[in-house]
Amino acid sequence: MKKIININFQGRVIPIEESAYDILKQYIDSLRKYFANEDGRDEIINDIESRVAELFSDRLKRGANCITDEDINSIIASIGRPEDFDAIDAEPAATGNANANTDQQQQNTYQQAAQGPSMPYSKGRFFRNADDKIIGGVCSGIANYLHLDPVIVRIIFALLFGVLFWVYILLWVIVPSQSVQSSITKRLFRNADDKVIGGVCGGLASYFNIDSWIPRLIFALPFIIGIVSSSFHTLFWDWNWGWHFGPRIITNSLGSTLFITYIILWIAVPYASTASEKLEMRGEKVDLNTIRNTVNDDLASMKTRAEKFGSEVKEAAQNLGERAKEFGSTAGSRAKDFGAEAGTTLKKRGSDFGSVIGTLFKIFFFFVAGIIALSLFGVLIGLLFGGMSVYPLKNFVLEGFWENFLAWIVLVFFLALPLVGIITWLIRRIMGVRSRRHYLGFVFGTLWVIGLVAAIFLVANITHDFKSRSGVDETLSITQPSSGKIFIQANVKPGTYYDDNWFGADMNHAPFFGLSDDSIMLRTVRINVIKSKDSSYHIYKVRFSRSPSTERAKQLASNIRFDVNQQDSIISLPKGFAVERDDKFRNQQVLLIVEVPVGKRIEMDESIDDYEWFNVNIDRRRGKRGINVNFDDDDLNNSCRWESNVEYVMTDNCLERVTERRKKNNHKDGRFNMKIDKNKVEIEANGDDDDDSNNHPDKKPSTDTASFRYHNNKKKIDIKIDSTINIKTSTTQVDPNSSLQSTTNDSVAKCEEASKQHSHSPFLVLEQLF
Amino acid sequence: MNIENTQSQMRKGILEFCILSIIRRGEAYPSDIVDEMREAGLQILEGTLYPLLTRLKNAEMLTYRWVESNSGPPRKYFSLTDKGMTFYKELETTWNELANGVNKLTNKNESLPIVPDNTNTN
Repeated sequence: MKKIININFQGRVIPIEESAYDILKQYIDSLRKYFANEDGRDEIINDIESRVAELFSDRLKRGANCITDEDINSIIASIGRPEDFDAIDAEPAATGNANANTDQQQQNTYQQAAQGPSMPYSKGRFFRNADDKIIGGVCSGIANYLHLDPVIVRIIFALLFGVLFWVYILLWVIVPSQSVQSSITKRLFRNADDKVIGGVCGGLASYFNIDSWIPRLIFALPFIIGIVSSSFHTLFWDWNWGWHFGPRIITNSLGSTLFITYIILWIAVPYASTASEKLEMRGEKVDLNTIRNTVNDDLASMKTRAEKFGSEVKEAAQNLGERAKEFGSTAGSRAKDFGAEAGTTLKKRGSDFGSVIGTLFKIFFFFVAGIIALSLFGVLIGLLFGGMSVYPLKNFVLEGFWENFLAWIVLVFFLALPLVGIITWLIRRIMGVRSRRHYLGFVFGTLWVIGLVAAIFLVANITHDFKSRSGVDETLSITQPSSGKIFIQANVKPGTYYDDNWFGADMNHAPFFGLSDDSIMLRTVRINVIKSKDSSYHIYKVRFSRSPSTERAKQLASNIRFDVNQQDSIISLPKGFAVERDDKFRNQQVLLIVEVPVGKRIEMDESIDDYEWFNVNIDRRRGKRGINVNFDDDDLNNSCRWESNVEYVMTDNCLERVTERRKKNNHKDGRFNMKIDKNKVEIEANGDDDDDSNNHPDKKPSTDTASFRYHNNKKKIDIKIDSTINIKTSTTQVDPNSSLQSTTNDSVAKCEEASKQHSHSPFLVLEQLF
Repeated sequence: MNIENTQSQMRKGILEFCILSIIRRGEAYPSDIVDEMREAGLQILEGTLYPLLTRLKNAEMLTYRWVESNSGPPRKYFSLTDKGMTFYKELETTWNELANGVNKLTNKNESLPIVPDNTNTN
């Protein structure tokens, strides 16, 4: 029983079965899609429609009551479906069912009507695809099963080869192979008809069935934001560095990632040039529903299979011997099948033995290629992020237009280009695109050579910038300490100071520890201790710098501000010194020579360890023209060796230890809780219970002092805690286990340490005694 | 190498020539063109023909006239323009050359001179 409807078709009323109408509608839609970019699209479709209408009237005139499914199908067969028009791509698999189709039954009718005795449409069963394979057809089988583009599955497998390797092998072994008529109706192509640059966005749009402005906007957005924010930046130039850096790093890194993605897709994805490719490009909607439907269908059949399997197991229990034998033979034949399969996979390559090696090689190749692709991608992304973060540093090294220009060429051509090239090549391999464009390689090669030349020039230029070294000497006038000992510490913050924490990286060992648009903080400071010729302490300050000329180097050296303060026996040094952007980083250094008279003492605070000394040497003598960064400069060999936190006395043979090395203060990142109620103040520190072995000597709390104030109606308590959680008095070093001193107006709070074992995670309880 | 592929490529090249040769003889209706070609043993789908005619018409090789039909909507009858005639003539020359050459080659029966076997020397 079928419903008949009347339609107005080409100005005529046609009675037609509803299902036939659906087929007709589908057919006209498929034509519309096929001719979507043809100039005379409407005219062609109109012509075909009127021809169809003519054939309808013909049939009705011959006495038919209405147009049936058969009528429609035979008419369509005589006019031809879009897939048959361009017979040039004789790919029956690909052109199978390109019409957007949700009604499965209809699709089948279609296929039977049009395709006739073709391969079975194997929806719902998972086979390895014998027709479209690179190794075992597993990927294309999965793609087929999930209605996806095999390329996507292959890329996933290649990228996750480490994980999916065994899955692949397993599937290869257990899944039977069959010539599967591809159910893929959609593949990623570049859209030649809807393009602005390379048709990538257009292709993506047709692939995901969205308007093409959406991917365009996504690709263009970072650039738009970049332009807008940089114009904002120029408008409000005094924006804090950190403020605009946030959006900048997001837009720029995203922008460059998208840019490279675009380029890679441009190169790797083929144009949809033939009709069937165009149809595939616009083909069936791939969405979660399709996948879910397929999976649901299959779960149902899995259930029956599981039941069947259950009964088989039962049977097996009943007749173990027989079953085992049978199973053995099944497994045997399966293994044999597999062997034969693996053999035939590469039979083209030659002998059986060779083919086995070939297969292994291929597997190995894809494995390695996957890893390489993944790591290259990582490197590329890292390079971009690294480039971003080193970007501000560039202003401190490069001088003038040419060096900047060369640096960009090096970055783009010498570093980024090969990565893009290799990734592109891998993707093309995975997609099985044979390159007909040999010039691409030449272009890449040429550009890379340009990059290489630029790199050489850049190195030569920078070498030149670091050619001469010169220093400025200065004798500091100090008062002789009364105690016969000097204590040197680096605790003075230089004027401009930015955060130690740079992109989350621990910059404690970097020679620079603060970087901004206008200045860079260096801590290339070194203290040499030598024997004094007379009976008093002397301190000399030598500032060094490098430059193309000695004069300029001297000038740069004298620009270094490094003020030494003395308070009786305590010498305080800055933690570092700033180098202005215009001065450039030219390996500025400060050398402090401390002369200690015999019999007098000296001690370095552990904060001195934060200095990092290194030298940029231009070594021409060994024929090596280049920059050599040397962290252990033994310029002044007559100086004595010392360690921080040790008290030394000067003897005729340099320094001699007076005390054992004191444990460095252990600090850790943790949480400090403070509870104050009527009776007591409680400070609790939670942190790792660390020991010396994993304790980083340079770790310091970010705040130098913390003050707490406690008020009640009668008393006021001020508690000051210095840079260590241990409470220090102003003049003496206090042992971690010592008690906390806190002063109130006129009374003293007694402190008690609750947890003596955990001296490094003190649980301090202040008991109120007043 | 697919036989169907090669065959269809061969056909595709001469399709326009055949269509023009039919229309050359007078006004033609598309389905008549298909019939005539089928009669001559050349398979063509109407769906392929319509766009081709439209393209030729847009290239001013063809022109058409509406003719009322007693069965169904009015029909388009196509005829050749002067430009189309010149175009056809040129195609005809090319075809004759091709056909001659191909025939000459395919009809030759004498075998090629024997190439000495070098495989042992490698």
